[in-house]
Amino acid sequence: MPLSGIRVIDVGNFLAGPYAASILGEFGAEVLKVEHPIGGDPMRRFGTPTTRHDATLAWLSEARNRKSVTIDLRQREGVELFLKLVAKSDVLIENFRPGTMEEWGLSWPVLREANPGLVMLRVSGYGQTGPYRRRSGFAHIAHAFGGLSYLAGFPGETPVLPGTAPLGDYMASLFGAIGILLALRHKEKTGRGQVIDVGIYEAVFRLLDEIAPAYGLFGKIREREGSGSFIAVPHGHFRTKDDKWVAIACTTDKMFERLAEAMERPELASPELYGDQRKRLAARDTVNQITIEWVGSLTREEVMRRCLEKEVPVGPLNSIADIFEDEHFRARGNLACVEAEGVGGVVVPNVVPTLSETPGRITNLGPPLGNATYEVFRELLNISADEIKRLRSRKII
Amino acid sequence: MDGHESNLPLAGIRVIDAATVVAAPFCATLLGEFGADVLKVEHPLGGDALRRFGTPTFRDGDTLTWLSEARNKRSVTLNLQHPDGARIFKELAAKSDVLCENFRPGTLEKWGLGWDVLSQINPRLIMLRVTGYGQTGPYKDRPGFARIAHAVGGISYLAGMPKGTPVTPGSTTLGDYMTGLYGCIGVLIALHYREKTGRGQYIDAALYESVFRCSDELVPAYGMYKKVRERHGPHHNDFACPHGHFQTKDGKWVAISCATDKLFARLAKAMGRPELASSSIYGDQKVRLQHANDVNEIVRDWCSSLTRAEVLERCYATATPAAPLNDIADIFGDRQFHARRNLVAIDVDNTGETIIVPNVVPKLSETPGRIKSLGPRLGEHTEEVLKDLLGMSDAEIGELRARRVI
Repeated sequence: MPLSGIRVIDVGNFLAGPYAASILGEFGAEVLKVEHPIGGDPMRRFGTPTTRHDATLAWLSEARNRKSVTIDLRQREGVELFLKLVAKSDVLIENFRPGTMEEWGLSWPVLREANPGLVMLRVSGYGQTGPYRRRSGFAHIAHAFGGLSYLAGFPGETPVLPGTAPLGDYMASLFGAIGILLALRHKEKTGRGQVIDVGIYEAVFRLLDEIAPAYGLFGKIREREGSGSFIAVPHGHFRTKDDKWVAIACTTDKMFERLAEAMERPELASPELYGDQRKRLAARDTVNQITIEWVGSLTREEVMRRCLEKEVPVGPLNSIADIFEDEHFRARGNLACVEAEGVGGVVVPNVVPTLSETPGRITNLGPPLGNATYEVFRELLNISADEIKRLRSRKII
Repeated sequence: MDGHESNLPLAGIRVIDAATVVAAPFCATLLGEFGADVLKVEHPLGGDALRRFGTPTFRDGDTLTWLSEARNKRSVTLNLQHPDGARIFKELAAKSDVLCENFRPGTLEKWGLGWDVLSQINPRLIMLRVTGYGQTGPYKDRPGFARIAHAVGGISYLAGMPKGTPVTPGSTTLGDYMTGLYGCIGVLIALHYREKTGRGQYIDAALYESVFRCSDELVPAYGMYKKVRERHGPHHNDFACPHGHFQTKDGKWVAISCATDKLFARLAKAMGRPELASSSIYGDQKVRLQHANDVNEIVRDWCSSLTRAEVLERCYATATPAAPLNDIADIFGDRQFHARRNLVAIDVDNTGETIIVPNVVPKLSETPGRIKSLGPRLGEHTEEVLKDLLGMSDAEIGELRARRVI
């Protein structure tokens, strides 16, 4: 495995940051989830419960490939143990409110002294610097602050959630994982570690194509666009006769020509009518209406078949039930069924991305609280069994 | 190279970006920000379609998206459909570390530039292949864009008012960017493996998979309980309440999220009604979830009685998680964006004209990324690359140009 031999400490809560550890774990890193001895990561209680009291479905899926080690960082002895663990690790991931680690005596200078090669990912709502750094921020807040939520919904109407609540947590983690992998490379060359500082809102904002330069240069404020887009027509969601939905995206004139053929109205793509994107954009409502009527006259299966025949970019708006039925998801192995201790088989999304030589894998789902505490303290830190017992009785671990 | 440049983590890595629009090219953009030399290989006629995606500018009509996202790249024109173009491409691949492409599966193979050929020429090569549906499976040949991927991957179904028309999940290119991020992770992992073994590999990324992977418990909840998640509108109250968008007196919007009882107690205090967080009223998340409509109504009434600035001031005073739904004008005026330097003005071709683009994410303390230049002119670096890298003469280059190979 490409990351075998890399040890990662994930001391974060929920997803923003910890998901970066999941990815590293999928490709071979050893991930130690360091949790509070009482209750552990609140992610264990977030979402739909299972037969196991310490694990929701979200926890089982996203805390994959980890070992759980309990340490109370609010106790001095806990901090000392944690530093010993840091000395034997390569990567540390945290997402406390900025200043929290410092309060516990775990500032970057202290951590770096314990391990000069340490790579540390810090994820927070607003980043480690700037006037809002102390504000609490979750993905929901970051979607709003970063400019994404303003754009989701119909023009002039209520802005809706941009699909899923924790999207920004995933995005921040993806950027975080990139930062870690870059920093590991630098460390291999120089021996020096460093800090990666990600604000969740920044991860969201970075992905908004030309919104910043268009305002900077032309004062253009992008508004909500409903199911469409400013770049092309038709480019949106359309309801079929059987009350399902399809997405159609004609980004170029060629694709509109294909759609016109699929509709058996090739004349629509003539230069006098709507063959030109500029003309379509100018006649947006008319072109959309034509598409709405055609799609509304057929079942989803029929629309899909006719569009695919002409190579029109089209896709069903899949619910999760549709996804479980889909042959392509099955063929790509996107749904993995993994045995979870005390629960049985759980279907979870499989590893992304797919590597040809060194594919990732899921070794286990979210672990029981503290399942590796003894093993890690005994074997990695060489602490005696008696001492472990004492630490346990004092609820330090 | 100055000290900082040679110190960047990807200094010495050469990337060929033969892809178009956002997804695979964004991976190359990220690599370039951290020191890789990125060669944007484009068709001599028109180049990358991203040059025409979005709002055109004074610079050859190249769009703002191009200027921003093709940052740090050098443009080399090459017609891959021409046998001489394919030959030169192989020579470039032999001298490169990473290749990013997003042609439909089978296209590079048709031109004699498939993985088998390229990996033979350069066993250390790492190739990122991005398509709508991936290189395998029954739908692999279907055309796919981010909008289609959002639909297939399950996110579009979830955006919009309950039972209403599903809307774009904020931005039509989201899935492209997310795939660029996953692709970049794949490339960096593959580079790590190559350092150990000397062997390259390819990464098979599908737009729909990137979106689908970021779906929290959607998959196991259906697998175990047949729970089909529906559109939530502005409020997601499956696990937390309040958790949504509320309109203020001045017609603006705020997001408020109380994932725990402690956070709700702070909100109650901000509203001047601490008693709402008592155990006999709404102190318990379970009770709030059962009465989500009532709780949302209370928060809605409170928000609509105050301006956005007042709501936020009161929320921040009690550390309640809240934020404005910023439009881009709000963002340009925001202190945090300024303090973090999230917006940066970059000169267009040393003309003194600048455009403002989003700065590098993430922030690395020792080896921060940087933007050296904006998206290049079409073919701006063809000559220098063919000369310096492949040792071609002026005569050869002139001849290739005349035959429109470059």
